[in-house]
Amino acid sequence: MIKAEPRTILNFLNTYFDVVRDLFEYQQQDGLITKEVFDMICHKHGAQMKSRLREYRVVRSIGSDFEMRDVYFKLMEFLLFEFKPLLPETIEKYKGAISELFMKIRKSEHSDRDILQERIKNLSGQVREFVDLVERNAFRLLAETRDLKSNIDRVQYREKVHKASFWIEYYILPLNRILDVNHSESVTSKLVEVCEYANRKRLDYSDETTRSEYEKLYTQLIQTNQDLLKQSKILTNELIPLLERIRTESLILTGFIEFLRNPYKVETPPLLKGTRTMVYAKDMYFKVREFFEQFQIEAPVIVENSEADFDRWIFDRTLFKEKLAASMPVNDFFGWCFKALKKDFDQIETDKFFAVTGLLFDEELQIDYSKKSERVSIETTTSLLNVPKLKIEPAIKL
Amino acid sequence: MVYPAHHRQIVEELMSGKFLLNNEEHFNSLKENESFYTEFFKVSFDLELIMKPEFSYLLSKDTQENFSRDVSIFIAILSYELDRDGRNFIESFDFNEFTFEEIDNYFLNSSFVDLIESNKTLRDNESRRTLLNGMARRNIIYKTFEDRFTFTQAYKVFIDFAKELALKRIKGEPETQNTEK
Repeated sequence: MIKAEPRTILNFLNTYFDVVRDLFEYQQQDGLITKEVFDMICHKHGAQMKSRLREYRVVRSIGSDFEMRDVYFKLMEFLLFEFKPLLPETIEKYKGAISELFMKIRKSEHSDRDILQERIKNLSGQVREFVDLVERNAFRLLAETRDLKSNIDRVQYREKVHKASFWIEYYILPLNRILDVNHSESVTSKLVEVCEYANRKRLDYSDETTRSEYEKLYTQLIQTNQDLLKQSKILTNELIPLLERIRTESLILTGFIEFLRNPYKVETPPLLKGTRTMVYAKDMYFKVREFFEQFQIEAPVIVENSEADFDRWIFDRTLFKEKLAASMPVNDFFGWCFKALKKDFDQIETDKFFAVTGLLFDEELQIDYSKKSERVSIETTTSLLNVPKLKIEPAIKL
Repeated sequence: MVYPAHHRQIVEELMSGKFLLNNEEHFNSLKENESFYTEFFKVSFDLELIMKPEFSYLLSKDTQENFSRDVSIFIAILSYELDRDGRNFIESFDFNEFTFEEIDNYFLNSSFVDLIESNKTLRDNESRRTLLNGMARRNIIYKTFEDRFTFTQAYKVFIDFAKELALKRIKGEPETQNTEK
């Protein structure tokens, strides 16, 4: 058991990534980390480094030497994308494991439900590992064969053919046999068989939780078969015709293959960058001036007076307020409004009348309602208004 | 002052990032007045005019130009796939007409799938159309029809880049590295 918190270990890996990478590289190269190498790598980080590497189970002792534990080794392989090509024999073992589990699942169809579900989960785990290994191997083989095609070391054609034959014989063709869905003994054809079985069982198995496990397995296998088909296509299109492909060599293609290794770390041909004016650009002042200058040339504007009689009256609130104050107290407010307007106009429109009546809402006024509910009639040009008789006095200030 | 013929067209097209091609009328005017234009672009905009027998273009000092990177990846993958298909890719660039469908097939079946899917200008048919339209605007390709095109001689900029990179790597020279995108 590791005492340290998971985050502490991740922080350690982050801080001392270079140390772990060095250990990984030696392990990858020599298969183990000799005591001398281990001492040399840890030396500059003090005595605590060794104890931490052991405490976090990054390495374990092999006699006087060390080796990186598998989980860290695989993590580094994944992070650095440096997979070692595996011999297809190593991958083929999954066929045995998958076939065995599949056979037991079929036989134990009506026995213990728990063990059946456990076997389905285990089968799913094996499939996951298998696909992962195939993808990693195909990736590594592609990288190796692109190296051959690129031929940056400018090796002789004969040597290239020798290397290509080696890859084809021991890695590419056997991997193709594993992935060949038309071959009855291939792992892929076995997976297709499992997939068909899982498809039936996810629909007709009596127990619901087991049906759900079959459903998960089926979904996983559908995706797996698609992924394997993709890998198989790469093998057929790109790796098997390797001998034919390395026959030609081109300096340009070498450049492109080298570029495509990591296209974001190589400077590409400089071209003119598209211009986009920012407000802080040097020429912004001139561009803004140009923009505004276009409005400086003013065309003559002719304004024609409309012949239509257009009477636009604006209510002068202050004036009418003064008039009202001078007439205080007013016994009939609405009557007063009408009379006040009548002094200026012969005809009183309703909107003019309502504008003046707005004075009523002045907080400085005190309004008394007639106890007899008396009403008065006001006649505007368009309406006959029946309004209450209101008495207005200045409000008493407290 | 009397400016060379087609002056405005030359300046506008070059300044918009276009390659001027030797089959265009104003290219001749540019070629005849090469020294004037070299100085003109240098003094006015601090840009370098590159004159090749087949085309001409302007160089920006800013190397963080994504368009150049996207086109480089596009041409690199296409060259690789054409070679894998047994075709001479230089001859294809020089003489063949490509259809968008053909390009899509090459990219769909390419083993550079991770790179293609992670690049937003190459990841699907639509994005590739946009990139190709951008290349057409800059005269790197010539659209013969809505879904067909040929490469113009401007593609050689990217071929020269590949050659230089290969020579550097063969000699083991460290090249200047860009910051990650």
